Amino acid sequence: MSAGAILGFDTATADAVVAVTIGGQPVSERRAQPDGSGRPRHAAKLLAEIEAAAADAGGWEAIERLAVGIGPGTFTGLRIGVTTARALAQARSLPLVGVGSLEALGLGIAERAEGRKCLPLIDARRAELFGALVDDSGQPLWDPFVAGPEQLLQRLADAGLRPLAGGDGSLRFRAQLESAGVDVLPDADPGHRMAARHVCELAAGVTPGPVTEVKPAYLRRPDAEVWREQRDRNPGERR
Amino acid sequence: MSLILALETSCDDTCAAVVDGAEVRSNVISSQVAAHERFGGIVPEVASRHHLELVNPVVDAALAEAGVGLERIDSLAVTRGPGLIGALLIGVSTAKGIAAAARKPLHGVDHLHGHVAANFLEPDPIEPPFLCLIASGGHTLLAGVTGHSGYAVLGQTLDDAAGEALDKAARLLGLGYPGGPAIEREARGGNPAAFEFPVAMRDDPRLDFSFSGLKTALLYAVRELGDDGTLEHRADLAASFQAAVVDQLVAKLRRAARGGSRRRRSAADAWGAIALGGGVAANSLLRERVAELCEAEGLELKLVARELCTDNAAMIASAARYVEPAPYPDYLAWDAL
Ligand SMILES: [Zn+2]
Repeated sequence: MSAGAILGFDTATADAVVAVTIGGQPVSERRAQPDGSGRPRHAAKLLAEIEAAAADAGGWEAIERLAVGIGPGTFTGLRIGVTTARALAQARSLPLVGVGSLEALGLGIAERAEGRKCLPLIDARRAELFGALVDDSGQPLWDPFVAGPEQLLQRLADAGLRPLAGGDGSLRFRAQLESAGVDVLPDADPGHRMAARHVCELAAGVTPGPVTEVKPAYLRRPDAEVWREQRDRNPGERR
Repeated sequence: MSLILALETSCDDTCAAVVDGAEVRSNVISSQVAAHERFGGIVPEVASRHHLELVNPVVDAALAEAGVGLERIDSLAVTRGPGLIGALLIGVSTAKGIAAAARKPLHGVDHLHGHVAANFLEPDPIEPPFLCLIASGGHTLLAGVTGHSGYAVLGQTLDDAAGEALDKAARLLGLGYPGGPAIEREARGGNPAAFEFPVAMRDDPRLDFSFSGLKTALLYAVRELGDDGTLEHRADLAASFQAAVVDQLVAKLRRAARGGSRRRRSAADAWGAIALGGGVAANSLLRERVAELCEAEGLELKLVARELCTDNAAMIASAARYVEPAPYPDYLAWDAL
């Protein structure tokens, strides 16, 4: 366990979130939201928010550990977060821990779960969801997955589970989830949004490894690889 | 002199270099060719994933080979564009992160300015004014270089890049990837006059390029010949296609060397040399033909070493010497361009 100051951030969703915790208590929490058009501004916002959060905590000298959400989420967002984390860790010789973004989101949902299991869901586009099932300490009961809502609801039904869902994915598919008996946090509940203090919290309990081992959890392969495989399977078809 | 650590990730090579004035102290290039080979071309998402994994070790290697620690570096430099946006972001995020952590200034560099500035590096730098043809899978640019800090676009491709045309031709002929070297190898046994492919824009007074018509002409030829006929005439097709690409590049260079569209060359805008950059500059036929042109026009021919010719970070550091850096924290909000 690390009781010292941890600077953590996450770019898996449209918000760039940054926090510093000391002994588990947040001393800085910052959030940069998408611009008016809804486009995330991770490249333009993240590093400035990180520098400001470090200043909030009394300067970089106070920071003992870096933590970054490794996804799943939008590929470009994840890469900006992980790349920035690796660069800062490399240049400042700080230990770096990568934590699951869904597990971090799950910790926020757990604050309202009253003992229920939590289902953090991130909109994965293409009518799919990134999700995980976590207990109230953010520990995964189901590993992060990508699935359509029907597939997810079938799996929950098979397991006889009625967890509490949150995240932008749960908002997008609220009607479908609720009709299958899954509770979704109220629209305005802050548990829908990533909070970087949860990234710090998860990172406190992990022993840091090499910086280059911190990689995005894409969960999806590049489209070109999938197409390539399909073509190899059906060699008669021309692209 | 001042030490610059530069990063370049605009396409499919992950590059970092340390440059001291005009002297290259290290120039590390991690090529992803093998990762893209099976797709027959560069896949942006695959490139971005590889850049992320490679960039930190490549930066470490550049510093180690130069024998300096980050604390000795005076400023950082990074390619901000043009290129594949997701790929550029890896270099930009990494350079911003390192520069901010070390509280160093950061130069934002235009990739093509980098190709031009490769000519200012030791061991045999040249001085402006000169003409610079940059031809690769990503760009085809004819630049007029009259100073160190920039260049004038005299002409550029209106559709495909020259290297892209060669890649597509190689794919059509079943020759693999990357297409430039594959076409060149196959062309050695072929007759460049066997097929008459159009040399687009040759008589156009502008200095722009176009390769899409050429690609279509090859497609028709291949269709007409059928699979067996194409295989039988493959060397001739490759040789004729390569000749048509090179003819167009050389025709525009000749026109530019003679002073542009209609103007006579005056003493003031006389070019001293022709410099070639980009992956296509490795093509032997192009080198031969440009050498002949230089001979005829009384110009020096400048061919930079191969590792400075294709994408690399030493050229980005070289360009950075002539670009004012942004001090910390002015670059924190930089995006790829
Ligand atoms: Zn290039």
